Amino acid sequence: MNETRSGLPAEDYGDFRPNQDALRKAWDRPPGLAGVFMVVNHRTVGARFIVTGLVFLVLGGIQALMMRTQLAQPELDIVSNELFQQLFSMHGTTMMFLFAVPIFEGVAMYLLPLMLGARDMSMPRLSAFGYWLYLIAGVTLFASFFLGVAPDAGWFAHAPLSSDTRFTPSMGMDVWATAISLLEISALTAAVEIVVTILKMRAPGMTLSRMPVLAWAMLVMAMMIIVAMPAVLLASVTIAMDRIAGTHFFNSAMGGDPVLYKHLFWFFGHPEVYIIFVPALGVVAMVLMALVRRPIIGYTVVNMALVAMGVLSFGLWAHHFFAVGMPSIAMSFFAVASVMVAIPSGIHIFSFIATTWLGKPVFRAPFLFLLGFVLVFIAGGVTGVMLAAVPLNWQVHDSYFIVAHLHYVLIGGAVFPLFAGIYYWFPKLTGRMLNERLGRWQFWLMLIGMNVTFFIQHHLGLMGMTRRIHTYAADLGWGPLNMISTAGSYILALGFAVFFWNVFRSLRVGERAGDDPWGGPTLEWSLSSPPPNYNFLYMPVVRSRYPLWEPPQAPADRDTAADRGIRALPQFNDERRETWGTTIITAEPESRVILPGPTIWPLLAALSVAVAFIGMLWTLWSVPVGALLFYFSMIGWHWPFNKELAT
Amino acid sequence: MSVQQAGSLPTPHLKSHTLGPKNIIWWGMIGLITIETVVVAGLIGMYLYLKMYNPAWPPDGIEPPGLTLPIINTAVLLASGVAMRVADQGGKNEKRSQLLIGQGVALLLAVTFLVIKVIEYGGYDYDWTTHAYGSMTYALTIFHSGHVLSVVLKGLVVFAMAARGMFTRERRLALEVNGLYWQFIVLIWLPIFATLYLAPYL
Repeated sequence: MNETRSGLPAEDYGDFRPNQDALRKAWDRPPGLAGVFMVVNHRTVGARFIVTGLVFLVLGGIQALMMRTQLAQPELDIVSNELFQQLFSMHGTTMMFLFAVPIFEGVAMYLLPLMLGARDMSMPRLSAFGYWLYLIAGVTLFASFFLGVAPDAGWFAHAPLSSDTRFTPSMGMDVWATAISLLEISALTAAVEIVVTILKMRAPGMTLSRMPVLAWAMLVMAMMIIVAMPAVLLASVTIAMDRIAGTHFFNSAMGGDPVLYKHLFWFFGHPEVYIIFVPALGVVAMVLMALVRRPIIGYTVVNMALVAMGVLSFGLWAHHFFAVGMPSIAMSFFAVASVMVAIPSGIHIFSFIATTWLGKPVFRAPFLFLLGFVLVFIAGGVTGVMLAAVPLNWQVHDSYFIVAHLHYVLIGGAVFPLFAGIYYWFPKLTGRMLNERLGRWQFWLMLIGMNVTFFIQHHLGLMGMTRRIHTYAADLGWGPLNMISTAGSYILALGFAVFFWNVFRSLRVGERAGDDPWGGPTLEWSLSSPPPNYNFLYMPVVRSRYPLWEPPQAPADRDTAADRGIRALPQFNDERRETWGTTIITAEPESRVILPGPTIWPLLAALSVAVAFIGMLWTLWSVPVGALLFYFSMIGWHWPFNKELAT
Repeated sequence: MSVQQAGSLPTPHLKSHTLGPKNIIWWGMIGLITIETVVVAGLIGMYLYLKMYNPAWPPDGIEPPGLTLPIINTAVLLASGVAMRVADQGGKNEKRSQLLIGQGVALLLAVTFLVIKVIEYGGYDYDWTTHAYGSMTYALTIFHSGHVLSVVLKGLVVFAMAARGMFTRERRLALEVNGLYWQFIVLIWLPIFATLYLAPYL
């Protein structure tokens, strides 16, 4: 009965026994196909986000390989200019919108309830709704790609190139504007749900200062999404309106202003980098603690650095377009803020070094990926500080120096931590370990491939090679370096291939993991692998920051939030979906939150929204039609069919 | 301290149906309101940005909007907020007639707001394709009016539920979040009103 390890020794629960069969039934989903479309449980939806994100990673990676192949030698014509434009637009869109953000939302959805001691996310139907929107948007974008009408104005789709049908006549830009809007709605729903889960559904006793670093990171990420995503929602919707409805937001001949688009997009676009990087730092902290066998150094400072990053990242969006020309006072402001954000990032790196120094590192695959993160991210961070300087920024604007920088930051800051996390939590998801030897192969191939591909691109950028060019003249002398870069990209791709082979193989013949293969500190390791559908048999309570590392003392005559929680346990009704509702700061037990079961309405609602947005490609009447469909699905969603559960 | 030894120490009573900040759905509504506030702030920011970079705003040939109708309309919308507040009090005290009359009045006033908006925009000789000014004003107005329409449609459902007597003093979360969102839609009109109608006269 390992569930009783959830923070407390078994004797604390006395004779109290939850009804396991009732719980299993309450958290089950309908059999067959109906269950596939109706399921709302966080681990299913979270895993769907992660798997779908990995599929898009492969697709985006193949697009990158096609581009690198075209650029391997001067004046090649393997890929047409037209297709090349679609490739780099789709590659960026895929990696940012379809891979990086959703996959970390998936990580949050899967892990947060397990770490916080809850049986599901706060709004399970919203999880499912967000997933369906994401899937529809992704499939629409790739359908346009395979039909040859993919977006072709870059992943940030600067106006007026993107907003004027004279410049981008293909339907691809309309697809981009509408599908991206769907994705933003999906991210926003997930963000609200993540914030509410973290603030209101932690186990009794898990005060904010005992919350796992990953929860802090996800909280910052979700709050950043809430502030940043509406800006890009405005950007993509106004692009769609300029193209479809004949408005003039970005048409300078009619009073509009293309620079306005840059502000809208990059007010989101820069925080976006941190929306990806902050949860990655949370993953790093969790994996690090387990792999170096000690609590993180500077828990409070580390969390406050996450918050500082979240705030500061909103003050530096304009460094993405210094070249557009703006008042020098504005440029100074954005340059200073760009340098300043290096401070909280530095705090994390120093905390990492100190924790590793004082701990006993276990050099297994997850730890290797952490080292990869530090190496690669620091290189990207250094060029980031360089780019904060306006003169250098002007010099290398839109050159391969930028391409190199952003890939160092994103692969170092997000992909390496993500793989560390996958190697670390894969046993929790599947019950089997990923193969260690293949993991090492993957790590070295990725590290070498990544550096060979992108380090050289700094130099290409300084030599004057601009990004997004389809090919280049032979007498420029860029051929040899591009060849090296292309070779590197194939090594990198091989690393990813090893990973997928490892997953495929380990799912069938991987070593059985047991409940806690890493000796982790947080609640998810107290559960079986994979956990039962209700997560916790005994609703957990928490008395310390690392509940599995600091076994509580013999029961004293205490009356803490955790003790009050324990006494309140018999009030839970095992026959329906219930979980802790606690206060925001001190996590006092406050209520039983009743959560909804499987339902078809999230799918119907997502389809209605898709009709409204994607229908715009053909007629604006899709908006009222989709809105009406959405209205009826909302009535179905909220109608109290079950009076007992309805609130 | 085990479950059985509860003894003299206090045990919190965990309600399963809560209201206000104890309820996660209430927090979800706060999340939606936050998102929409950021959207409106973004729209107003766009409006002011374009105003700053345009030599004339509204451009030559477009008159600044008249004030009479919008001021009346603002009063109508604020009154609907008051009526909704009265209805919420009725729900809180389980006074069904107060609840239904309050909601009915609020709904009628919101519909009146929409009708006056249509009349007002019928009087303009420009639309969103005329100039970025038109794009911006229509965007702000359609965004807000669309939300008024949506709270009316949503309010009708809540009204039907109230008429069927589905709410009690303890179980009225739908009333509460409906009222919360209604007040938000009323109040967010004020910065939009100030930007579109008052600022051109500054």
